[in-house]
Amino acid sequence: MSSTPRARRGTALAAALMSASLVLTACGSGGDDSGDKAAGTRSVKAENGTIKVPADPRRIVTIGNTNLPFIDLGGKPVGVTEVSDSELDVLPAKQKAAYEAAEVVGSNGGEVDLEKLAGLKPDLILVQFHSKDWDKVGKRLESIAPTVSWGLDTEWKAFAGEIAEAADLTDALSRQTADFKKKVAKIQKAYRKTIDDTSFVDVSRGDWSDPGTFYIADIGCSEIARDDIGFDLPEAAKGKDPLAYESLPFEQIGELSKYDVITYPVDAGGRPAEPFVPVTKTNSWKSLPAVNSGRALGVFCPGNNSYGPVLRYLDSLDRALATLAPDDAN
Amino acid sequence: MKLMDATEAAAPTAERQPPVPRRRRRAIGLVGALATLIVLMVLSVMIGSKAIPVPVIWDALLNPPSSPDQFAIRDFRLPRTIVGLAVGVALGLSGALIQALTRNPLADPGILGVHAGASFAVTVAVGLLGVRSAQGYMWFAFAGALIVTLLVLALGTTRKGSSPVVLVLAGVCVGAVLGGAREALQLADPDAFDAMRYWNAGTIAGRPLDVVWPILPFFAVALVLAFAVSGPLNALALGDELAVAQGVRVARTRVLAVIALALLAGGATAIAGPIAFVGLMVPHVARWIVGPDQRWIFGYSILLAPSLLLVSDILGRVVLRPGEIPVGIVTAFVGAPVLVALVRRKKASGL
Repeated sequence: MSSTPRARRGTALAAALMSASLVLTACGSGGDDSGDKAAGTRSVKAENGTIKVPADPRRIVTIGNTNLPFIDLGGKPVGVTEVSDSELDVLPAKQKAAYEAAEVVGSNGGEVDLEKLAGLKPDLILVQFHSKDWDKVGKRLESIAPTVSWGLDTEWKAFAGEIAEAADLTDALSRQTADFKKKVAKIQKAYRKTIDDTSFVDVSRGDWSDPGTFYIADIGCSEIARDDIGFDLPEAAKGKDPLAYESLPFEQIGELSKYDVITYPVDAGGRPAEPFVPVTKTNSWKSLPAVNSGRALGVFCPGNNSYGPVLRYLDSLDRALATLAPDDAN
Repeated sequence: MKLMDATEAAAPTAERQPPVPRRRRRAIGLVGALATLIVLMVLSVMIGSKAIPVPVIWDALLNPPSSPDQFAIRDFRLPRTIVGLAVGVALGLSGALIQALTRNPLADPGILGVHAGASFAVTVAVGLLGVRSAQGYMWFAFAGALIVTLLVLALGTTRKGSSPVVLVLAGVCVGAVLGGAREALQLADPDAFDAMRYWNAGTIAGRPLDVVWPILPFFAVALVLAFAVSGPLNALALGDELAVAQGVRVARTRVLAVIALALLAGGATAIAGPIAFVGLMVPHVARWIVGPDQRWIFGYSILLAPSLLLVSDILGRVVLRPGEIPVGIVTAFVGAPVLVALVRRKKASGL
C-alpha cells in the first residue's frame, strides 16, 4: 500500500548507520533526513496485509498501543497519539522526552487528526487499536503513508518483534530479548524451590473497577510470571474469558486465603497502586494469612506490551521474591 | 408470594367490607409485610456472592471478627443490608408522597427533577471539580436534589397557588434542561462519564455506613413531615376546593410534602445513586392492598419498598456469581413482571 512513496525517502548508508547508532544510544536527534536518496523498501506482514515499508523509515507516526512499545525500542516518533497520564508517569525520563518531543495527532480512543498527521509527512505509520477504529480511518491512513496495523489480540513478544521489524529497530530488540531471557533464567534459578512449591495469586483493581470490587489478574504482567517463569497462578479455563474480566465483590477477598502468596500492584515507589488502595484498607484483606505473614508482595508492573517495562516488572518481582524466606514457600 | 396473598386478601375488603375488619386486615397485612422485611434482612446477611457458612456468620455478628469471612459479614453484608433498608424506606415513602401529591399513579420521585438534580450535581463534582469518592459526591447529589426540587417548587407555584400539573411540568422541564447539560458535560469529559457509570446504575453495595449516618436525620425529619401531611393529603385527593372546604391549607401541605419527598428521594439518591421503579411500583401495590388512605399507603410503602430492594439485591448477588449486578438494574427486572401481573389481575387504582 505504498502508493505515495516520497521521492526524497531513503538515506545514504553512512547516514543510516549513523542514525541507527544514534537511535540505539537514544541520544540522537532523529528525523534529520537531509541528503537522502531513493532507497529500497522491505515487506512486512501485518493485520492489514503485506505492507511495503521503507528500508530505513525516518518519520514514523505511532497510533494507539504502538506509541510506547516503539519508544521502548529506542524509536523517536514524529507523531503519537495520547497515552494516559498513568502510563506517562512511569516512563523512563528519556522515553518520556521522546514521547513529549512528538506531535500529538489524536486521542487515545482512536480518533486521529488526519490533516495534522499528513502534515507531519510520515514515511511509516504504526497502528494498533480497535478494529472499529481501523474501519473508520484505516484506508485514509494508508493513503498518507505505508501503514502497518496490528490487532488488539497480538501477543506482546510478537508485537514488539514486529514493531522492531517494521521500524528497523531489530538491534535494540535483540538486546532486549537477550536481557529478558537472562532475567527469566536468573529468577528461575534463584527461586526454583519457591516457584515449584508455592501457589500464587495476583490480584488487582483498576481505576475503572466498580467501587467495592477487585479482580484476579490472570492477564498482564502476571501472565509473564506464569507462562515465562512458571509460577503456579490461577488461569481461566480454555475458551473462557480471562478471570480479570470478572469483577469480584470485596466479600470474595476471603477466597484468597487458599493461596500461599498474593501479589498486588504497587507504584514505582513501592506503595500500593492508587486504585488498589481500597482493597488494602478492608479488614478482610488485613486479616488474610498471607498479608499477616509478609507473603503479600507488592509488584510494580509499568506495562506488559514491550520488553522494557516487562524487564522492570521482572526486577520488581525479583526483589519481592527475595523478601520471602525460603521456608515460607511451603 | 406474600405480596400476592396480601393483595388478594385485602382487595375485596377495600370494596365491600365494613371499616372495622378492614382495619384489622390492614394491620395483619402490615405485620406480614414487616415479617417479610425482617426475613429478607436476615437473608441479605446470609446470602452473598461468596457462600459463608451460618456458624461463621453467627460468630461474626456476636464476637469480634478475626477471619476475612467474618469481616466480610461485618464490613460488607451488614452495611449493605442497612443501606438497603434506609434507601428502600426513603424510596417507597417518597414514591407514595409524589403520587399523593400529584394525584397521579404514574408519578415517581424523579418526576420533580430529583434524579436530574442529583445526577447533574454529581457530574459537576466529578467532571469539573475532580471529586472521585462516593463520600465526596454524596453531598453534591443531596444538595443537587434538594436545590432542584425547591427550584421546581418555586417555578411550579403560581400566584394562584400551586397546582400538581404545573409542578410536574416544571419538574419535567428542569429535568430536561439539566439532563442536557449533564450529557454535554459527560460527552466533553469521558473520564467523568466513566466514573459516573457505576453511580448511575444505582447500588447499595460498597457504600460504607459512614455515608448513611449523616443522611438518617434528614430521613427522620421527612418521615415526620410525611405522616403529618398524610391527613391533609387524603383530603387533597378529593380536589383542592373540597380540601379547602375541609379546612386543609393546600399550599402548606404541598410545600411540606415536597420538602419531605426531596429529603427522602434526594437522600436515597445521594447514598445509592438513582434507583428507578421502586418509588413508582411500591405505592401502587400498597394502594391495591389498603385502599386510598395515605397513612396506610405510607406505612405499607415503608415496609414493601425495602423488601423489593433487598430481594433485588440478593438476586443481583447470586445470579452472576461470583460477580454481582447493581441493585438498580435488578429492581426493574424483579419489579416489572410483578407490576404487570398485578395490573392484569386488578383494576388499576386511580387517585
